[in-house]
Amino acid sequence: MTTRRLVPITVLATLALAACGGGSSGGSGTATSASAAPAMVRLWLNGEDTPQAMVDYASAEFTKLHPESKVVFERQQWTGIVEKLTTSLSSNDSPDVVELGNTQAQSFEAAGALADLTAKKADLGGDDLVQSLVESGSYDGKFFGAPYYGGARVVFYRKDLLAKAGLKIPTTTQEFVDAGIALKKANASVAGFSGIYLPGKYWYAALPFIWDNGGDIATRQGDKWQASLSSPGSVAGLQVVKKIMDEASAAPKDGDEQKDYVAFCAGQVGMLMGPGWKLGQITDPKDGCPTMKDKIGAFALPGRTAGTTAPAFLGGSNLAVSAKSKHADLAYDLLKIMTSDGYQTQFAAKGLLPARKSLLTKVTGDDAANAQAKAAANSRFVPSSEKWAGIEAGTVLPDMLVAIAKGGDVAGEAKKADEAITSGLNG
Amino acid sequence: MTARTQAPVPAGGAGRTARGTGAGRPAARNRRRRSPAPYALVAPAVIVLAVVLGYPLYRLVVMSVEHFGLAQQFGRPAPFVGLENYRRVVGDSQFWTVLVRTVTFCAVNVGLTMLLGMVVALVLNALGKVLRLLVGSALLLAWAMPPIAATVVWQWLFDTQYGLVNWLVTQSGIADYRGHSWLTQPLSFLAVATVIVVWMGVPFVALTLYAGLTQLPREVIEAAELDGASGAQRFRHVVLPFLGPIVSILAALSTLWDFRVFTQIYVLQKAGGVARDTNLLGVYAYRISIGANRFDVGAVVALVMVALAMLLTAVYLRQMLRQEEER
Repeated sequence: MTTRRLVPITVLATLALAACGGGSSGGSGTATSASAAPAMVRLWLNGEDTPQAMVDYASAEFTKLHPESKVVFERQQWTGIVEKLTTSLSSNDSPDVVELGNTQAQSFEAAGALADLTAKKADLGGDDLVQSLVESGSYDGKFFGAPYYGGARVVFYRKDLLAKAGLKIPTTTQEFVDAGIALKKANASVAGFSGIYLPGKYWYAALPFIWDNGGDIATRQGDKWQASLSSPGSVAGLQVVKKIMDEASAAPKDGDEQKDYVAFCAGQVGMLMGPGWKLGQITDPKDGCPTMKDKIGAFALPGRTAGTTAPAFLGGSNLAVSAKSKHADLAYDLLKIMTSDGYQTQFAAKGLLPARKSLLTKVTGDDAANAQAKAAANSRFVPSSEKWAGIEAGTVLPDMLVAIAKGGDVAGEAKKADEAITSGLNG
Repeated sequence: MTARTQAPVPAGGAGRTARGTGAGRPAARNRRRRSPAPYALVAPAVIVLAVVLGYPLYRLVVMSVEHFGLAQQFGRPAPFVGLENYRRVVGDSQFWTVLVRTVTFCAVNVGLTMLLGMVVALVLNALGKVLRLLVGSALLLAWAMPPIAATVVWQWLFDTQYGLVNWLVTQSGIADYRGHSWLTQPLSFLAVATVIVVWMGVPFVALTLYAGLTQLPREVIEAAELDGASGAQRFRHVVLPFLGPIVSILAALSTLWDFRVFTQIYVLQKAGGVARDTNLLGVYAYRISIGANRFDVGAVVALVMVALAMLLTAVYLRQMLRQEEER
């Protein structure tokens, strides 16, 4: 999975403020502990979000600082990462630097799994850091997780197929769903064609519809959480999701979105919702279909009324040093390289939102970037609780969506999910 | 658990010859009881067991009466909560559903494994040398395959979009299975899991039973044939009673293994399906502990598993001891 991260309330604000944030970013080359003993520093990054080239860059920069030491890079998968971090961060064989989705970070911060970086906050960028990611990186007034990158989901679509079916870019939810159904009908001759590719487990894609209809996953009432997926607004949103799954999508009802680019490249997809870097994955020379590049456009998912966008799930990641790291100084130096301008600029070029306000203007100005900026302007996040990671790992939302995709009663399934979420967040 | 390492040896007729004649046995037993040598010999095994099994079990029991979450995992003190976690598990309807599902799944899988294992063993016994070697090798390879690798391959075979099974069913004209999801419906999901578990379980059962069959005295069968017993009758009244002890031990072992099946379910749940409706006890305990960070509640579920597994082991041991006495 790609962007299970907390969406800061202020993402749009940060984007808007991007222009005035510049100036104070620290250089990447200033070593803080050049005298540390030689060692292997283990780095864990998740999913395909960070390309190998950037890891190589960080590794090379690190070697310049510490010629005797080495970065050992281990790529992890987003699926099951909470479980893996839980066991490895508490073991004696802990990785030194880890990436945490911003919906997951607070659990580990609250548990004491991560090294306290409060004193280093200014050194890592201070006020230039994107506020929403600073929030997910902080717990109880202390700073543990350095902002790594952000991203908002947008809709990628096939320009040629839309044109052929005589469709325009949808401006409301209704038009979006109708366009998906029309695309599916127009391409019925293609086996397994989806007007909108929406696999059952893809819960990030379902959230905007819930939020846009006035629903939410859970709300805080006093010091208790109350799940609200079975509220009228949430159910209305889930009905839209069900309609898409039933009539516009041919994606596996119990599948996830990890391999959606394969279907896209096979010409089986009209539209799909994905993070900004999905375009790079689709047009990747090795795994994807670079020739399709000119046929792909992007837009922000529209809301119920024309001219609005549906609240986007704006994600991001934090980088942290394990509390059990045996080379905390070296690990910190690596972390610092990865939050530096030289490194973060590469995120900008890739369509992700860098973690520094001063770099946000450098996000490339193509369709996807524009759509992302627009989507990020109206964004929401999962319940901000250190217990949320447990709900995610318990696959409550995917289970509910798959049950609905299979034809289960929407209100009934939402109610079941509510019970699990309420007890999980308060338990 | 250690059952796998202890099991294969005493099965089959080989144990009988190794143990020597039964004559003069009571005397030998008395003498053994007085000598410290047996205790010295068994001590290393007991110590290893105590360290490898006893300590985790002790931790599990302690954890089950504490509040133990993620913070405790990282060193925060764990408050004592008495039987709170037990109350939570007993009061959770999902736990009972999972328990019943696990027992049913186990029973079906053991039944199928034993049945197929017996058929394959009989086939092996009837085959010529070359074919027997081929089938035997195939069985061994299936058995040697790590569960994760096996499950991933099976999962590809049953894949919704690109799976071979869907393609074959569609191509052969039986039905249009393009895009059919095998994992969405819990029953279908558990059926796929059953295929994988049985596929991995049959080789051991088949080879062990085959070993037993080779010990079957030719004369007895011939005598039965002369008396006019049909094939089915010979199997029922001669072969089966002879293999009886092996069958019951194999069934007990299979029950233990299938009861705590984890990998197959976990990997399949990642590929598709609804975790909530397909959890078996092992995966359920894992999801509560490591997933939701309720190590305390997960410990209670795990203890239930241990208790049930011990019960099964007791049955197995009792059978083994009783056979010993019969000899």
